[in-house]
Amino acid sequence: MIEFRKVCKKYGTGTMALKNVSFNIQKGEFAFLVGSSGSGKSTLIKLILKEEEPTSGNIIINGKDTTFLKQGKVPYLRRSMGVVFQDFRLLPDKTVYENVAFAMYIVKATPKHIRRQVPMVLSLVGLSGKAKMYPSELSGGEQQRVALARALVNNPSMIIADEPTGNLDPDTAWDIMSLLNEINMRGTTVVVATHAKEIVDQMKKRVIHIDKGVIVKDDKKGGYNCEI
Amino acid sequence: MRFNVISYLFKEGIKNVFKNKKSTISSLMIMCATMLIFGLFFVIGENINAFVKEIADAQGIRVFLINSATDSEIEEVGKELLEIEGVRDVRYISKEEGLESMRETLGDEIIAGYTENNILPASYEVKLTDLELNEEVQKDILQIPNVEDIESSNPVIEQIIRLAKGVKIITAVILILLIVISIAIIANTIKLTVHARRKEISIMKYVGATNSFIRWPFLVEGVIIGVIAGLISVGIVGALYTYFYGKLSGTIFMDIANLKLIEFKDMFELILIVYLGLGAGIGAIGSAISMRKYLDV
Ligand SMILES: Nc1ncnc2c1ncn2[C@@H]1O[C@H](COP(=O)(O)OP(=O)(O)OP(=O)(O)O)[C@@H](O)[C@H]1O
Ligand SMILES: [Mg+2]
Repeated sequence: MIEFRKVCKKYGTGTMALKNVSFNIQKGEFAFLVGSSGSGKSTLIKLILKEEEPTSGNIIINGKDTTFLKQGKVPYLRRSMGVVFQDFRLLPDKTVYENVAFAMYIVKATPKHIRRQVPMVLSLVGLSGKAKMYPSELSGGEQQRVALARALVNNPSMIIADEPTGNLDPDTAWDIMSLLNEINMRGTTVVVATHAKEIVDQMKKRVIHIDKGVIVKDDKKGGYNCEI
Repeated sequence: MRFNVISYLFKEGIKNVFKNKKSTISSLMIMCATMLIFGLFFVIGENINAFVKEIADAQGIRVFLINSATDSEIEEVGKELLEIEGVRDVRYISKEEGLESMRETLGDEIIAGYTENNILPASYEVKLTDLELNEEVQKDILQIPNVEDIESSNPVIEQIIRLAKGVKIITAVILILLIVISIAIIANTIKLTVHARRKEISIMKYVGATNSFIRWPFLVEGVIIGVIAGLISVGIVGALYTYFYGKLSGTIFMDIANLKLIEFKDMFELILIVYLGLGAGIGAIGSAISMRKYLDV
């Protein structure tokens, strides 16, 4: 589903952020991406989203090599992935409902479809009662749930999350990770870059370790602390 | 596109207009100012044009034929005259008609001697589509065989034509300046809204919005600002013009100069179309320019 083949990424500044990175995440898999700060996790995610271009190598998503994808086709690639960030990225002047519906407007969904789909994902993330509230009236965990609902609303085949729990306390972080796990159980592929060591250790999912831009370990049922 | 999507994009565009009130208002003012200067020359130009046209209608070129021309040769000249570009209408004036019209202007006594032996040549009266073509048409006419001489407009007309040309050039230059300045101003205003909404735009991109979808609200914003500037300008030009029309028409000066101003209502439609077209076009181009740079990222 997400395959990297000998991918290198060198930024304009000269930083080699990724070196010869290869891995393959299967459909329906749950994979953590771990590594110290500056190791290249966000860079890897940006490459998946085609926010950045690889310097060399190939990236295959849903069986399609995206390396030479035309700019105009990128939006359609992104519709197959739901994205979640550390800072939630909600629109402050829109309600919870509107924030989620927004993602459907953008892909030109019918009003009927929007009216049916939005309450459904809101109940999935446990926010049915807060549809009319504004982001500023929600806790961090609740805001991240809204972001997750927005990522899910167009039924993407994968969820890509960059430190989704980075701004949350440990309990709330667990809630969000469990939610991601639940989403994964329904068949959605999930990739999570994170520093949440304990959660990674306990969840027993695949863990891809990156260090200074190199994959140093790829554990099918790993934890953070495995020996290299 | 579906109606709800269109209405969504429009609502967003209208929201954009109010997002940066200060910059919207300042770009409106600058656009109105340039549109008003353009409007000033535009209405002056329209009046001169109308005046020139009136003269063109009254005044024609008189084409005299050589006395020995046969009927078929005369007919041939008429055909050739009609083929000249810029000739609207050709009327044949026979020797007799020529004498008759002379009698009307000069009186019976002077004409009396000529009635027996009419030495007046037959002629054509040529009306032009556009007085500016006067010179070229005259040259062409003189090429036609069997044409003896032509009699044409006086120097005053030449001067008015030159004036009309000058005003046209000034109007065109001002129009270009208006377009360039306004596009830059609108582009800048939209850049500010783009900046204010960059978070929203980046979210839209992550969710898979196409560039054209992202562009629409800003396009709507630009067109709205342009159209509003156009409407305000039409209002101000109309009010000012009507005021000066009232002041000027009927004054002794205008009577002596035999000038008649166009009423604003006769120009209203044209000015409205020109201003709205300009406003919408400038708005669209301005927003396209400010978005192009942004969306290429
Ligand atoms: N846009 C950029 N331009 C230049 N260098 C960059 C850019 N983005 C990242 N880098 C560099 O690439 C390297 C990897 O950065 P990246 O953001 O991928 O790390 P990370 O693993 O996500 O770190 P963190 O855990 O702190 O988020 C770093 O050395 C960083 O300075
Ligand atoms: Mg990062």
